[in-house]
Amino acid sequence: MGKSRDVQLINLRSFLFPAACLLIGTRFIAAQSPCVPPDDMKPQLQGKPTAEALNNLGVWFADQKQYACAADVFASSMQLEPNQKDVAHIAFEFGVALDLSGDLKEAIPAFQEAEQLGYLDIKIHVLLAQAFDATHDSKGAEAEWRAAIDIDPEYSPALDALSNDLLADKDFDGVIAALERPRLAGQRTPLQSANLGVAYASNGELDQADAVLRDGLNTTPDSLMLANLLANVLVGLHRGDEAVTVLQLALIQHPGDADTTAHLASIRTAKPARN
Amino acid sequence: MFPAFRPAKFRPSRQTRLKALVFLGLFAAAFVTIAFVPVPARFDGIAGVAAHAATAGPQTLSPISIDYPLNGSIFPPGITPPTFLWRDAAGTSWSIDVTFAGSAAPIHAESTGERMKLGPIDKECIADSNKLPQLTAQQAASWTWTPDAATWAAIQAHSVSGPATVTITGYRDGHIAYSQSRMEMATSKDPVGAPIFYRDVPLMPSAGVNGVVSPLSPSAIHLIHWRLRDITRPESHTVLRDMPSCANCHSFSADGKTFGMDIDGPANDKGLYAVVPTSKHMSIASKDMVHWNTDGTVGQSRVGFMSQVSPDGRYVVSTFAGPDLKLPDSYYVKNFLDYRFLQVFFPTRGILEWYSRQSGLRTPLPGADDPHYVQTDGVWSPDGKYIVFARAVAEAPHDPEVPPATHALDANETQIKYDLYRIPFNDGKGGTPEPIEGASGNGMSNNFPKVSPDGKWIVYVQCKNGQLMRPDSQLYIVPFKGGAARRLLANTSLMNSWHSFSPNGRWLVFSSKARSPYTQMYLTHLDADGNSSPAILIDNATAANRAVNIPEFANIAGDGIDDIDVHVADVNKPDVAKSDVVKPDASAPNESRPEDQKPEVQKPGGQK
Repeated sequence: MGKSRDVQLINLRSFLFPAACLLIGTRFIAAQSPCVPPDDMKPQLQGKPTAEALNNLGVWFADQKQYACAADVFASSMQLEPNQKDVAHIAFEFGVALDLSGDLKEAIPAFQEAEQLGYLDIKIHVLLAQAFDATHDSKGAEAEWRAAIDIDPEYSPALDALSNDLLADKDFDGVIAALERPRLAGQRTPLQSANLGVAYASNGELDQADAVLRDGLNTTPDSLMLANLLANVLVGLHRGDEAVTVLQLALIQHPGDADTTAHLASIRTAKPARN
Repeated sequence: MFPAFRPAKFRPSRQTRLKALVFLGLFAAAFVTIAFVPVPARFDGIAGVAAHAATAGPQTLSPISIDYPLNGSIFPPGITPPTFLWRDAAGTSWSIDVTFAGSAAPIHAESTGERMKLGPIDKECIADSNKLPQLTAQQAASWTWTPDAATWAAIQAHSVSGPATVTITGYRDGHIAYSQSRMEMATSKDPVGAPIFYRDVPLMPSAGVNGVVSPLSPSAIHLIHWRLRDITRPESHTVLRDMPSCANCHSFSADGKTFGMDIDGPANDKGLYAVVPTSKHMSIASKDMVHWNTDGTVGQSRVGFMSQVSPDGRYVVSTFAGPDLKLPDSYYVKNFLDYRFLQVFFPTRGILEWYSRQSGLRTPLPGADDPHYVQTDGVWSPDGKYIVFARAVAEAPHDPEVPPATHALDANETQIKYDLYRIPFNDGKGGTPEPIEGASGNGMSNNFPKVSPDGKWIVYVQCKNGQLMRPDSQLYIVPFKGGAARRLLANTSLMNSWHSFSPNGRWLVFSSKARSPYTQMYLTHLDADGNSSPAILIDNATAANRAVNIPEFANIAGDGIDDIDVHVADVNKPDVAKSDVVKPDASAPNESRPEDQKPEVQKPGGQK
């Protein structure tokens, strides 16, 4: 199983040894007990299975959550017919199978190859970004999140993740640019409002941070994160009474929340001392 | 099938907590040293409410986010009542208090809160390639109040001499005030004074044979409507529907007496232009059709682009490919299956030509006919003496080395940045084009100019690349003679374009996708100094899953057009001229445009 994954797809395209590929396919089917095809597919897999038959088997394994088996089958399919009609899609499915089987290191080049083969879909960027994030390649992840957002400016998971990555890099201007780009009004998630508010606050633009966080809180009144961040900004703006009110309202929504209660107490403690 | 696409693997709760802690840390130092300043009564509200809040509610009232109308909004007199939208983290019921600058009695209303709702759906416009409109997160969290007709009339009557102040107060637990915000709005003395003629289109891109994507399947062309909207009435009136052929850009002469419209001709060659007198019952027949190339002297391409009737109705100025170029040599076109921005379309080559209704000839306009440039978007000054147009260095529409764009604003789009120029018409003799300072050489694409009826201003679109349906398009205003360009306050968050001045020059209608991917139209007031006001939505212009397209003021009575009859046989008459353009999938809901075609790349300046 691992052996077939090691093969670079880019080489597979020109590496046309159908007999060998068939051997690989039949080897793992026969040798690896978990990768057992269903009875109704076995006739199509006897002798010289076609790429289509292998693709169907890969999908079946994936449906059974046998992702490593699916990856092997998709690799075999591409070896068998590197120029098959939907090779880009099969390469993508190969990458997904690797990804879901936990082999992110191998999934990344598989996705990249699928992209080069012409699989143009936001999903590939999202999966690549996730894989890069998981392997701590933040620059790679940022590039892929941006590519996803270019395709769909409203795709919230990508905006959430990109702003997270940029914030982790302390690229506050980057966060602002990413979240203030042209898009439908009122599409920010609570996390995006939080990230944008933090970015503005970190840049010293407290009034902007106030506006963004207030806006976010008015959209999602039950967000403790936004309430606590807004309270901090309001304190920074010397508007402690408003900060208290914000946290009081948050505690109405979430009675007894320990962090918010402590935060409120700290503001109240600071307030008389400064009066 | 293969497992469904997985949701992102984020764990917001953990990151959220971390971020909050980081942020708390950022402020920790400041926090312990901040000199606490008691907050003044920033939200003093109307007296009774504020007093009650001071005694029974929180120390301060939380600000409410009032999303519509925005502070500073100016409404035209007689417009139908708007729906106020706000979001509030604190209140569960609300009061709305309207006070006036004069002695008029305040108005009080109460709202237990109604959520924002989408308008009606046109079932015929539902397709696999589009989605039913959905409320954004903000819209779903919005509360609404729509004044009844009498209340709105009173608000309008008392907000002309000075702005009205609208205070929204949120309550919890009965009558304890927790939140409050206010905004000012006014009613203009300037009437809109004219209806808006617009196209009402489905957004249903389709992949035809050979995978060629078309903005609209030919079988759906009949779903395009042309409508007239008097903003004092709650609904628009459909004046034209069930056209067998697509029609696109339209324009009226300054006096509203002449109407022109691009009409796709035989084999969808876009070669026809209708010019007819405006009347209650209009008829477009063969005798009204201009066949752009029947004289045979001005080039192979018959497409007219952005045609504009002159103020006196005698001429039409339009963009043509020039003497030697065919259509694919002059337009960048990419259609996408994403219904939100389904097309990128702009000319990369072309010259301005003017058509005389009297002689029936079209002629290149000297000074705007240089094949080294693309010259397009020509519009007349109100006195007919000048033409303002967009110009850029001519380019091949498609670079075969660059992968095709897959979405709007894709970096792989052919890059072109237009500058605005002004040229004298000079009875068709043209002159020397002059760049318009402020709308040229600024690193942006400056396009789609419209000259104010008093001739003082040009309002145009700025975007990063190309023109038409650009997500990043913003409206700017610049003096007609050039000067500092200013971004209009009316701009929304997504796509601002297709603007048109009201006949009195005090109102601008434009389209935007800020509230929905299904384009809507808005109004903004322009004062004598060219200052605009926040955008006012023209409600109920179409179904929630249809788009308003190409809105244009017509200087006619509000009910000046009842119907337009286009004679089918004339539009599709096969012997108009031999087509030089054949489209695999004919339709164009958004502009006068060719479809995806195999480009024939030529070097700039390759024309003779």
